[in-house]
Amino acid sequence: MAPLYYSITTEEQNVSLTILSKSAFQEFVARLLPHYRVVGPVPHDIGYSFEEIQDVTELRMEYPTTILPPKKWFLPPKETLFKFTRKNGGVIQDPPETPPTVILGVHTCDLHAIQLLDTVFSSGQYDVHYMGRRKKTLIISIECLSPCDEHSFCKDMGTLTADEGYDLHLTDLGDSYAIDVGTQAGADLLQNYSSSSVATKEEIQKLNAVINAKWPKFSYRLDFDVSELSSIMELSMKSPLWEELGNRCLACASCTNVCPTCFCFDVKDEVELDLVTGQRVRNWDSCQLDDFATVAGGHNFRASRALRQRHRFMRKGKYILDAHKHLGCVGCGRCARACLVNITPVSTFNELYRQQETGSH
Amino acid sequence: MVTIASYPQMQTGTIMDRDIYAPGLGTIVNIRPLTSLEKVFTIQLPEGQSLGHRPGQFMEVSVFGIGEAPISISSSPSRSNGTFELCARKVGDVTTALHNLKVGDKVGLRGPFGRGFPYENFRGKDILFAPGGLGLAPLRSLINQVLDERNLYGRVIILYGARNPGELLFKDELKAWSERDDVELMLTVDRGDEAWTGNVGVITTLFKFISIYPRNTVAITCGPPVMYRFVLMEFIGKGISEGNIYLSLERKMKCGVGKCGHCQINNIYACQSGPVFPYKEIKGLEEAL
Amino acid sequence: MSSNGKPKIAFFDFTSCEGCQLTVIDSLQDHPELLNVVEIVQFREAMTEKGEDYQIAFVEGSCSRASDEPRLKKIRQQAAIVVALGACAHLGGVNALKALHPLDEVRKYVYGDKADWYETYDARPISAVIDVDYAIPGCPIDRNEFISVVKALLLGKKPPIPDYPLCVECKLKGNVCLYTKGQVCLGPVTRAGCGAICPSFGASCEACRGFITNPNDNSMREVLIEAGLTVEDITSIYTMFTTYQVREKIQQKG
Ligand SMILES: Cc1cc2nc3c(=O)[nH]c(=O)nc-3n(C[C@H](O)[C@H](O)[C@H](O)COP(=O)(O)OP(=O)(O)OC[C@H]3O[C@@H](n4cnc5c(N)ncnc54)[C@H](O)[C@@H]3O)c2cc1C
Ligand code: SF4
Ligand code: SF4
Ligand code: SF4
Ligand code: SF4
Ligand code: SF4
Ligand code: FES
Repeated sequence: MAPLYYSITTEEQNVSLTILSKSAFQEFVARLLPHYRVVGPVPHDIGYSFEEIQDVTELRMEYPTTILPPKKWFLPPKETLFKFTRKNGGVIQDPPETPPTVILGVHTCDLHAIQLLDTVFSSGQYDVHYMGRRKKTLIISIECLSPCDEHSFCKDMGTLTADEGYDLHLTDLGDSYAIDVGTQAGADLLQNYSSSSVATKEEIQKLNAVINAKWPKFSYRLDFDVSELSSIMELSMKSPLWEELGNRCLACASCTNVCPTCFCFDVKDEVELDLVTGQRVRNWDSCQLDDFATVAGGHNFRASRALRQRHRFMRKGKYILDAHKHLGCVGCGRCARACLVNITPVSTFNELYRQQETGSH
Repeated sequence: MVTIASYPQMQTGTIMDRDIYAPGLGTIVNIRPLTSLEKVFTIQLPEGQSLGHRPGQFMEVSVFGIGEAPISISSSPSRSNGTFELCARKVGDVTTALHNLKVGDKVGLRGPFGRGFPYENFRGKDILFAPGGLGLAPLRSLINQVLDERNLYGRVIILYGARNPGELLFKDELKAWSERDDVELMLTVDRGDEAWTGNVGVITTLFKFISIYPRNTVAITCGPPVMYRFVLMEFIGKGISEGNIYLSLERKMKCGVGKCGHCQINNIYACQSGPVFPYKEIKGLEEAL
Repeated sequence: MSSNGKPKIAFFDFTSCEGCQLTVIDSLQDHPELLNVVEIVQFREAMTEKGEDYQIAFVEGSCSRASDEPRLKKIRQQAAIVVALGACAHLGGVNALKALHPLDEVRKYVYGDKADWYETYDARPISAVIDVDYAIPGCPIDRNEFISVVKALLLGKKPPIPDYPLCVECKLKGNVCLYTKGQVCLGPVTRAGCGAICPSFGASCEACRGFITNPNDNSMREVLIEAGLTVEDITSIYTMFTTYQVREKIQQKG
């Protein structure tokens, strides 16, 4: 768990704390552009989206949240796994390599989600597609100084700050960024492309003040401590809430499609018009869709929306934690924003907690 | 956990340069129709490699352009000989395409995947097999393994049920088993025909004909989803302990390697921790049966 | 199969605007290679010759006259595979809208005083008259989907027509949901496959591709009411393309 307030001591200064004025930051990004594919938050309709930028002026580092998480740059909604030929069968070509990439402006909730995905795709059977992109990518994250909106609950989930998972981490000090260096690759990036300076004592004090001022702005929204979530879920298998959610749920999958920690996928073959060559593609799938667990012959192992909602929340609150030692929900609130029938993790988790407290099921 | 054997070299741990989704190739060297819906494909790996599988494991089989489907390995390791067998029922896109292939054609292969039967632990014990329908395909691998080292086991009892006589699989082998005096085989069909003189009824109707020594018996089942609960009740009714009951469970599978999420039974990935489970491990899982 | 080994396909039109056939012509222009793998033997929009030995029939338009029925049945007899092409053939389409009004009124409205000269009845999807193997939904159809259906049929697999809601494609595109902007949309109950083209351009989805197999209609209705729609509004948006299906549902309920 992250401490409520943390302060950076002067000793740590030598290790990692660096200052980049905002104009120097702009220059830094501009210098990256010829060498890296640079991705960051840009305005999109009335929201924001992580897109490749051509010019630093497109960037909006002070964005509230994005519709889709940065995940899409590691696990694209649709990707080619390999090309094949149907004549004699066989893989004929591996997918193209990812260019070196820098992703800017990743919030800490998303950072935690990326760490989960890293664990999922690198442990057990190693996924070269995800990891290939991941290893070519440097992450420059940014500390949230005020809540993105009423749906987030990162403070409860312990994701309102991060002490790893980034190459560089920015905190906005007004006219400059304090930069915490997370990895050697991050340090090299700064060294090679920026004119950063070591933080002065005043700047460190300022950082401490900014960080201390931030925490009270976020409120707790769960009625219990997150450490209890897994057991609350375990005890909620038979809760009547699932039936209720199932009645409301549209099975539209918006909640899982916008979730930074969801990683389920489908795999399909596509063939060119020559009917000989083609590719095997994978695309995001969702446990909320009707036939996610349907086998040939028609048997559906999770036929009702209620069972599918239960599965989703069990994954978020328990299964993922059991399997990967990271929480399956980082409290980003995207699913709550996306759901047209107001099914949200906060209300669901709180209701399950309430049912257990009052013994009402 | 059993170590996962290798073709193409699939191992837990991290081999970072290999694409776990890219199939290797095998050649179909024989095709044997069993019924109007099922065919057995004998597949040879390149350069005489051996599959190195364990009974109960499965392969992800590709017909390029159509897709990929999980199919159990139906032959036993004891008879591998550089080839292995898959028994596939024609039900959808991939399996239909597979049925349309000819001897000499290539298929894409990944695997073997999953956890098979720990048959070494069954040695010295009586084994009660209760496959239903296509469930004989995976169990045949174990049955033949056991028969090929017959003296290491106690009784071998096989209760096999199909919907009708025409759907009984591996009839030649059923016949051979029935002629052995060290195998107790009983068949049943849900609906008989004119020629059928055997038992009529679902598989659970066979249990009343057998008496076993429960403390030394391992019981194993695999079949259509509706069957498990009933067969399980019979096993338990016979006094067999939960740790000695094994089930091979079917789920939708896409990746076979614990990533895609399709095969989940609560928090368990059936493709990795299964498809074979001791009942004791899954009885607490709400979604298992 | 023709002598060159290519499967023969044919296009037929019934009551429709012919927009789907035009989309087919567009796809052929984008993908002339298509003609390397199939032979078109009938296509009124594009050619004059007529061959009657087709294996795959693509039928555009709804059945809106009793006299359409024998023609449809003949197509069914000849073709191994019949594919409904577009919303009119798949759902009855906008043509079925007239089912909401008494027939006489519709006749007068459409044909003026010559109404009695025309025989007409409730427009219906071709599946109401003959067995249909597959449908390519949409008003008009999506050209990429047309190509992928042809490819699937040639390979002997089920055409990849999604049976999940449009919201999936909309989200994967990263769109801002129309409801966030105060608009309404039938995405949650509509069959995906068009790439959520209408919401992507800021317009509500009106379910031209028809509904998914298991829509949560009750919940959808609640969402629309919440968004300020009246029951009449909801009826009219729900029945733009799917009058026939909505009527069937009502009839099934009793
Ligand atoms: C561990 C395991 C072992 C199996 N062993 C055999 C066997 O020995 N013989 C046999 O005939 N069948 C077996 N099956 C079932 C077989 O996998 C399905 O019948 C097959 O996937 C259907 O694919 P299809 O493309 O023909 O059907 P479609 O209906 O076109 O299915 C499309 C896709 O959905 C997935 N899918 C559909 N049904 C299943 C299913 N039942 N299980 C997993 N994925 C599915 C596959 O990816 C498939 O390609 C096994 C399934 C599992 C999980
Ligand atoms: S977004 Fe809401 S309605 Fe849609 S699947 Fe998720 S919970 Fe159900
Ligand atoms: S479940 Fe919802 S709040 Fe939690 S990480 Fe996913 S989108 Fe964010
Ligand atoms: S959920 Fe919290 S960490 Fe994530 S963007 Fe919102 S405020 Fe920042
Ligand atoms: S705009 Fe329509 S299709 Fe898109 S997410 Fe919203 S409701 Fe769904
Ligand atoms: S968005 Fe809706 S109305 Fe528009 S083309 Fe797609 S299905 Fe039809
Ligand atoms: S089949 Fe993909 S996780 Fe098991």
